[in-house]
Parts: sequence; C-alpha cells; structure tokens
Amino acid sequence: MIRLYHLGKSYGSHDALVDVNLHIPKGDFVYITGPSGAGKTTLLKLLYGAEHPTSGKLLVGGIDASKLSDRQLPHLRRNIGVVFQDFKLIPNRTVADNVGLALEVLGMDRNDISRRIRAVLNTVGLRGRENSLPTDLSGGEQQRVAVARAIVNDPAILLADEPTGNLDGAMAVEVMEILLAVNLRGTTVMVATHDTGLMNRFPNRKLRFENGRLVKS
Amino acid sequence: MNSTTEHLIRRGLRSCWENLSLNAMVVSVIGAALILAGTYLQVIHNLDKVMTSWDRDVHISAYFYGNDPSEHQFSIMDEIAAMPAVEEVLHLSEEDAAVFLTERLPDVAPIIEEFGAEVLPASLEITLRPEYTRPELIQEFVDEITRHDFEEIDYGQEWVRKFESFLSMLQALGTVIGSLIMIASVFLVANTMHLVVYARRPELETMKLVGATFGFVVTPFLIEGAILGLLGGIVATCGLIAIHSLLFARVGEYLNLAMSNESLVFLPASWVTLLVLVGVILGMAGCYKAVNKFWKAAS
Repeated sequence: MIRLYHLGKSYGSHDALVDVNLHIPKGDFVYITGPSGAGKTTLLKLLYGAEHPTSGKLLVGGIDASKLSDRQLPHLRRNIGVVFQDFKLIPNRTVADNVGLALEVLGMDRNDISRRIRAVLNTVGLRGRENSLPTDLSGGEQQRVAVARAIVNDPAILLADEPTGNLDGAMAVEVMEILLAVNLRGTTVMVATHDTGLMNRFPNRKLRFENGRLVKS
Repeated sequence: MNSTTEHLIRRGLRSCWENLSLNAMVVSVIGAALILAGTYLQVIHNLDKVMTSWDRDVHISAYFYGNDPSEHQFSIMDEIAAMPAVEEVLHLSEEDAAVFLTERLPDVAPIIEEFGAEVLPASLEITLRPEYTRPELIQEFVDEITRHDFEEIDYGQEWVRKFESFLSMLQALGTVIGSLIMIASVFLVANTMHLVVYARRPELETMKLVGATFGFVVTPFLIEGAILGLLGGIVATCGLIAIHSLLFARVGEYLNLAMSNESLVFLPASWVTLLVLVGVILGMAGCYKAVNKFWKAAS
C-alpha cells in the first residue's frame, strides 16, 4: 500500500526526514512513534501531499505521490482520511456539515450524504449531535467528529496525528477502538503517537523515528 | 441539477448572506466603477448623437464666377442633381442671394442697393443624401464637383471633422481611462474578496485537505462574485439614472443644444445591459483572483 524509498525532507538546513525506507502493506495498523521533532508529522504530511519530499520516492497505492501535480493531488487525498492533531473542524459549520464535507467533494447525492453522516456519527458515538457546532462539543467529541470526517468516505488509508493527544484515558481508548474498528474493515491505519500506554494496550507494528531517521521498524 | 451543482450554488448563495458587510463593500466598489464608466459612456453617446444629427444636415454651397452665363450654371446644376449622392440642388441667382442676405442681415441692404445685386455670386445649394454625409464621402463629392470650375465651394464640414477627431480622441482616452478603472476595480474587488477568503480560510484549507479540487472551491466564489457584480450593476444603473435626471437633463436644458435641437438622452438598453454584464465579469474576476491567490499560497 505504502512504499518509501530513500525518502528525505529538509527545511533549509534542517533535515526533518533522512533516507527513510519503508513498506506498509494494505490493511496494516502502524504506530509512528518517537520524541517531538522526530519527523512523525512530517511523514504524515508527505503521505497526504501537504508537503513534497526533498529526495527519494513515495509510492501510495502504486502511485508516486511525490510527482503528483496540483490537479492530481485531490484525487489522492480522497483516498486518504486524515485526523489532524488540531482537528481542523470548521467552527461555524455543524457537525453534519463538517463530516459531510469529505463526501461533498466527491459529488455525492445529498440523501446519501445524510445517510452516511448518520451512520458514521453512530459509529463514533455522536448520534443526535448532527446539528451541534464544534464549539459546543468537548475536546473528545471534537476529536471523534474529526475521526468521523476522516472515515466517512471509507478511505483506503487513514492517517491520524496524535489522535489521543488532547483526550483523557477513557476517551483515548474510545478513539483507539474506533481506529481499530476501521482497520478491521480493511483500511490501512497509521497513527502518529508517543502515548506508550496506548501502544501497549493495543499492540501493533511500531515505526520509531529519531532526528528524522527511522531507527526501528 | 446534479448534487455537486446544487451544493456549489447553495454554498455560493450562503456565502453572500454570511459576509454581508464585506459583500456590501464589493457591491459598492463595482457600482462606483460602473457609474464612472457609465457616465463617460453617456457623455460619448450624446456627443455621438449630436455629431450624427450634424452629419445629417450637410449643405454644400458652390459659388459660380460672376461672368458665368446662367445657361451654363443650370446645365451644371442638372449634372450635379443627377449624381447619386445628391438629394436636392437649388439654384440661387445673384438676385436670390441678395434677397436671402438682406432678409437675414437688414443692415447690408444699403450696400447691396448701392453696388447692385451682381456683387453677390450665384450659387448652387446642394443637400446630400444621409448615407453620403460622412466627412470622407463629402470630401470625395466636393473633389468631384470641383472640375466644374466653381469660384469657391463652401461646406462647413471642416470644423465638424475637427470635432469628430476630438470625439475620436475622447473615445480613445476614455478607453484607456475606462480600462484603468476596470483593472483598478478588479484589484479592489479581489482585495475585498481576499478578506472574505481570509475569513473562510480554515474552511477552504480543510476542503483542500479532504480532496476538494480548485474548481470545487472556486465555483461558489464565482457564483458569489456574479451575484455581487449583478447587484453592483443594478446599483450603477440606478446611480446613472439619478445622474441623468439630476445633472445631465439639467445641463441639457441649460445648453439647449441649439445646434442639434435634441435633448440629452440616457444610455440605450443594450449599453446598460453590457454595463451590468461588465459588473458580473468584474465580480467574478475579482473572486477568481482572490481564491487563486489563496490556493497558490496554500500549495
């Protein structure tokens, strides 16, 4: 599903990622771990096309994502669900609008969108909150809206950047269980986290980064 | 209507309501630009109308030499009357000219009495058909009748030609100024729309990250821009009507347009439609520019 060949990313003289070689098969569940500044978020950004690699090759589903033009990039992103560390919810849009955004860009019918929003909100435990604004929700609920938006279109890949970073223990477990459920449906899931407790509770493959280098795969 | 089109139109309309104050500013900018352009067009349109009425009224006076026998004068008159450009030819003998002149300038009557009517030359008063009243055609006609050996041919077209040159210059100047106004308007609209785009940046960024194409993001803004442009066009039309009734009509009355006997008119409906259309294009261009700038920066 995802292959990285000698992937590197630099910001000026700072190397965020150095010579990363990696293979993540379809349907895998992977933790990306390491201290702050290790390159976890940079790797995720490269995967969903928010950044372009400085060197190396990045294959996502057989497509060289590093060579995609601005016109082709949206089509890649439609197959990748992303849960952002800061949620990236639109504050003046309802929960349903936020979640439905990922379906609207696909040109889906309104009735289908409503049906799928109801189903996914049910999955993440937010049934009945369709018309709430993100500002009316708790941090945990906002995180679940972000997860709902990322999985509503059944993406092939789900990337989550510190999805439990702002949550208490019980809420973090709930979110992890949702991600594992998504993985069980066949979605490749990559979770950037440094929460060792969660990684021990839900053991899966770990990729450890330090100073931009993959030190343990 | 498919769901994507429906969604894009819904978002465009919603955005119009959600950013009322900024959108009011865009409408004002477009309205002001179109009022400037429309006022200029109204001036040009009326000057052009006056020019046309003057062109319609072209008379040529061809004066014979004093010793030219009247039989010869009438044969020339017949020849000229047969020319396709000519609508009417009148022969004015020395006596007719004396009567004509003393009627209009009674003070010269004693002079004419003293020297005799023959002091004034006989002439042909030629009226051209309307389709032959353009300056270059008049000049062609005059060149052609010159072969008849008139003492002098007088057609008051020289100053009309100069006025027409002035009008052409005014039109060229107006095109330059109008273009500058329109370019400035696009920038003003784009900058104002940039504020709207900036206010909605989180939404647009998120849309981009979930796979929205540029077309998907920009289309609602284009719809919004078209609506704002249309409103700007309507505002400008109302403004121009007000300017016409309050200012133009009064100036027209004051000048009385003695030379054309025609009052100042409002722009034709086709011009007003064109002006509104320009407003729509301005609104869309400004919005496109603002979103494009955001999109490139976000890339």
